[in-house]
Amino acid sequence: MTHPSGSRGDQQPLTVALLGNPNTGKSTLFSALAGIPTRIGNYPGVTVEEKVGRFTHGDRIIDLVDLPGTYSLRPQSPDEQVAVDVLQGRMEGVPPPDCVVVVADATNLERNLFLATQALELGLPTVIALTLADIATTKGIEIDAAELSRRLGCPVLRVVAPTREGIKALGDQILATAGSPPPRPIPLDSQPAAVAAQRSPAANEAIARYARIEQVLDGVVRRSPVLSRSLNERIDGVLTHRLWGMLVFVATMLAIFSSIFWLATPLMDLISGGVDAVAAVAESVLPEGPVRSLIVDGVLAGVGGVVIFLPQIALLFFFVALLEGCGYLSRAAFLMDRLLCGVGLSGKSFIPLLSSFACAIPGIMSARTIENPRDRLLTILVAPLMSCSARLPVYLLLCGAFVPNVPVGVSWLRLPAVVLAAMYAVGVAVAAIVAFVLSRTLFRGQPQPFVMELPSWRWPRWEVVLERVREAAWSFLKNAGTLIVAVSIVVWALASYPRQERAIEAEVKADREVLEERLAALPAVDPDRAELAAELSALDTPAGLEAARRGAAQRQSFLGRAGRFIEPVVKPLGWDWRLGCAAIASFPAREVVLGTLGVIYNLGDIDPGADEAASALVRRLRAATWDGTNKKVFTLPVALSIMVFFALCAQCASTLVVIGKETGSRLWPVVAFTYMTVLAWLGAFATYQLGSLLLR
Amino acid sequence: MPSLNEVAVGRSARVADVTGSDATAIRLLEMGLTPGVTVKVVAAAPLGDPLELELRGYRLSIRRHDAARIAVAS
Repeated sequence: MTHPSGSRGDQQPLTVALLGNPNTGKSTLFSALAGIPTRIGNYPGVTVEEKVGRFTHGDRIIDLVDLPGTYSLRPQSPDEQVAVDVLQGRMEGVPPPDCVVVVADATNLERNLFLATQALELGLPTVIALTLADIATTKGIEIDAAELSRRLGCPVLRVVAPTREGIKALGDQILATAGSPPPRPIPLDSQPAAVAAQRSPAANEAIARYARIEQVLDGVVRRSPVLSRSLNERIDGVLTHRLWGMLVFVATMLAIFSSIFWLATPLMDLISGGVDAVAAVAESVLPEGPVRSLIVDGVLAGVGGVVIFLPQIALLFFFVALLEGCGYLSRAAFLMDRLLCGVGLSGKSFIPLLSSFACAIPGIMSARTIENPRDRLLTILVAPLMSCSARLPVYLLLCGAFVPNVPVGVSWLRLPAVVLAAMYAVGVAVAAIVAFVLSRTLFRGQPQPFVMELPSWRWPRWEVVLERVREAAWSFLKNAGTLIVAVSIVVWALASYPRQERAIEAEVKADREVLEERLAALPAVDPDRAELAAELSALDTPAGLEAARRGAAQRQSFLGRAGRFIEPVVKPLGWDWRLGCAAIASFPAREVVLGTLGVIYNLGDIDPGADEAASALVRRLRAATWDGTNKKVFTLPVALSIMVFFALCAQCASTLVVIGKETGSRLWPVVAFTYMTVLAWLGAFATYQLGSLLLR
Repeated sequence: MPSLNEVAVGRSARVADVTGSDATAIRLLEMGLTPGVTVKVVAAAPLGDPLELELRGYRLSIRRHDAARIAVAS
């Protein structure tokens, strides 16, 4: 029944809107009817996802519009507003629907009919699809669909989407209903006995509607108490239990977290290996020059920087879809709500925040599971403060090189490990403070209700899980990927131009003279002598000379000039202008800072992953001095100040791009970058100043 | 009148009224917490909040703060 968009039939395609509560099997029904969506994007001006699938039934082309899952058509949230706008034909780019399919969960009909009866009153041709009918049967729930159809005045069909039972009949019914006059529902009794006069119209409507639904369902639904209901209860009893629930929760989260951390690593290595291989081919084919540099250091580095995120995104969305599909996601939010409520977030923020420890990008994308727009935005804004895996190499290098390896209290606990843990704690603490402050200032407004359904336990549907993974990966590549590549190319250009060979040679020569002068000025026995001599003799080897040239070129580029320009800003952090320069250059991604430090301190190209290169970098950094002096740049307070800066800063263009795409706004990435940079500077400043004072 | 917040875990109560007419009150009504409905307090989260409720054949989680606004007849 499903075909790719064909050109059969000369009539206009029918527009059919798919409406329903969350957790009703709506996505499964969408896939069963329309297959893979032909269009996924955002509705104009809002961050609500637009999903349209085109399929052919009989001789008609049907555009199936998947409306956001909603409990009510009272337009309060952006989701509900979109649903109402589409249904009333007021949504730009979506024709008024010819037919509405309301998805109603057969296991939970009473509450599902709330939305269904609201939809019937819109005066559009409507079909009600009773989903999860198979589960309802196993739960001992029997529904007289014919009688329900008679009482509601619209067709009611049983469907079991995964086995395609009733799907063809639903298609036939859609075609039949689309051409027929809309239902004429009996108006609600405006003043039922239970309604008090002082209630608001919306409250009265809700009470009257449930009174009506109870009448409609009287005699239509039969429940026979069976064992599976108590099984559901027993699962819930364990998984929301004080002790067992927490144990299962911690184990599940650890498993997910470690797999996005470790399972993704081999795949990411494979990707970066592949990109390196392509870069090597490009280097051997293309002649040395600006074109090669653009392709290898700009385009390929940018594309590699995008594709590298795919394994983590795919894995996280796989697990989130799995948890969502079986009903655990809501339980996790239930367990964690109290903890996060204290800082102005909600339980639903937990998984996005936890996954941000691996990488903020999948974390921010998974905030899509938070329906409440305020909580979602707040979560997105603080997620990048979780120390992601890209910060780890920076921490490891600096902790290993500049934090003394002394025991703290007990012999097995070493200071570098304590500092490393402290960096993670700094991120969490600052995120908590930021969330707390924002939720009480910028995001105050009206209190947002936390009213969350805990769906029944069920087996996740594989096709829905895989579709979620595919959707997330594709939307990341399409929406964020191109922009990330563009940013990488811009930063490459800033680090490569202007390039004047004469000036570079002059600088290398001047460097050598400075080194010679310093060596001559040192007394005959001095610990620094050997280092200086080694540095000088390195300039005589071809590799050393090339490294010095690269360093000089980068220092003279726009980026290098920017580094010198911001020196007064970074000096209070204990940094020389080269460090400032490296911080700017790491804007595309934090981990780039290691490579940049290598280049800028004349080490040549280093691979931060390889141990030997890292130790060469460590030696180079330990030897680095302030321009023209013997004063070392890297001391313990400076190393700590760099780490705190990188723990809090927003030096990750991809994260900012994804924040922009996920919030559908250019404002929020700017806000995130600004507040994080300010905090990073203040944190680094306090660390350096305090550290210098205490460690004098 | 006692509130739903005071109902012990494992016990049921009939909703008498939801106070207020703000977004939260309306959402609670829309989710089926209307006067006359029987609600069972199934569980409380490990940290004491939120509550897990059962009503109209499904399960719902709300915070104690909001449960305090739901008056029940014991």
